[in-house]
Amino acid sequence: MTDYAIELEGVCKSYPFFELQNIALQLQRGTIMGLIGPNGAGKSTTIRILMGLVHQDRGEVRVLGHRMPQEQIAAKWDIGFASEDMRLYDVMTMGWHIHFMKSMYQSWDDAYAQLLLKRFGLNAEQKIKGLSHGQRVKATLLLVFARRPKLLVLDEPTTGLDPVARHEILRELTAVMVEDGRSVLFSSHNTQDVEQISDQITFIDRGRILDSMDKEAYLDRWRRLRLEVPDGVVLPPLPGIIGVRQSGRLAVATANAFMPHLPSEYENSGVRVHAVENMTLEEIFVANVERSREEVNA
Amino acid sequence: MKTNVMLELVWKDVQLQRWTIILTIVAGAAALAVLLIGGQTPVVIGTVFFFVSLVFCACLLPLQNIVNERKKQTLPFIMSLPVSSAQYGAVKLVSSVGMFLLLWLALLGAALYMILNRHVLPHGAIPTGLIIMNFPLIGFCLITGTALVAESEGWGTAAMAVVNSSYWLVWYLLVSHIPSLTQTWASPVAVWTPAVFKILGVEFGVVVLILALTLYLQSRKRSFI
Repeated sequence: MTDYAIELEGVCKSYPFFELQNIALQLQRGTIMGLIGPNGAGKSTTIRILMGLVHQDRGEVRVLGHRMPQEQIAAKWDIGFASEDMRLYDVMTMGWHIHFMKSMYQSWDDAYAQLLLKRFGLNAEQKIKGLSHGQRVKATLLLVFARRPKLLVLDEPTTGLDPVARHEILRELTAVMVEDGRSVLFSSHNTQDVEQISDQITFIDRGRILDSMDKEAYLDRWRRLRLEVPDGVVLPPLPGIIGVRQSGRLAVATANAFMPHLPSEYENSGVRVHAVENMTLEEIFVANVERSREEVNA
Repeated sequence: MKTNVMLELVWKDVQLQRWTIILTIVAGAAALAVLLIGGQTPVVIGTVFFFVSLVFCACLLPLQNIVNERKKQTLPFIMSLPVSSAQYGAVKLVSSVGMFLLLWLALLGAALYMILNRHVLPHGAIPTGLIIMNFPLIGFCLITGTALVAESEGWGTAAMAVVNSSYWLVWYLLVSHIPSLTQTWASPVAVWTPAVFKILGVEFGVVVLILALTLYLQSRKRSFI
């Protein structure tokens, strides 16, 4: 059995106005990966390819050891998939949906479904059309979680939710992960959500993976240095610094491979270092995307 | 042992569309009941409404069972289940054609009962009536196939417009080339001419061709959502 829940290698997909280029991605079993990208970056296309809903033009895709899209039926028994554009049958009740899923999945956990109904404040007798957007998302996730799948693939599940509903869903998602061996791929353009629950981070923009690694290592590598450049001193180009914004004597340098000796190197060249700041995932994401776009445009 | 997902999906479609089927059968049966009044006007009204109920369902069923699945975004939910796009296509064909055939056979049986036992129309109307009843069946298969393969409400609506405006044209072409179709209508016994069998055979062949082509095109899709 492979150690990876998801493996994508050299995956390409072309559309008239969009191209997914050479996507390589690995999600280790038992981990949560946050797939972050702006709108139109290729998150949903990547997810649809790994669900077998869109066939790649080139490249290999394996999900839970199954080749996709050829073995999608076998793989989907163990995948719980929910996407932002997914809707339930609005003329049917929540109870009907539960019965529908229960009739198909032997892994269905009825006790857990009932617990989630209470926890999410849902009523089995209520028709889906009477639910708010937040309740509909919770209803969809209930149907996914209660199947007890080995892999959860969630495509922007928290989009459009109020902070309370978002918190409830993220809390439940974290609880689901307590079970051994469960893996989650979670796509979002909300970096706060991803930062809160992910072990691994992958940035995607304009159909390319910009970076993919352990979240803590990521946050540790990126720093912002607030500098003062006295007259007559030129900022030296240092390794690990990927961008400098200067306004008069003040400058801000962004490091994507921060080393403890970087500040002293600046000091040695006559530049004063006022502060070394940690960056949020959102700041790292924006810096990463901007740098990538500059490289492409150059 | 794993559940047969395809059967569950067919049953799900039946549950969702049951009112469309029941209401069409009720409307068709009510139209046939009008024939019992007797006289030329009730016969014309009853026959027209009987045909209209079939044509109405031939449009409504593909719209609700296939187009709405995409339009109302329930398709991603279904495709998250262990089915391939080819299987989904097969499920939709089986459920849609199955439901339409069920009501079609129910209404055919009711019409035959009215003709044979209640004598609302001469027996000579049976062969021609069967040919005409196949029109909405073919139209339904064409609309269903287009809705499934084209994945668009626009193409589905276009297919409906073409199909609905073609019924009278096809009927006109048939009677202008085979006058015996209308000549035997008032006969006290059903006249099964070789021409009638030939037309019924062609109608059956067209239904099979449309369904086979739909399944083939569906299985070749590379992007499904």
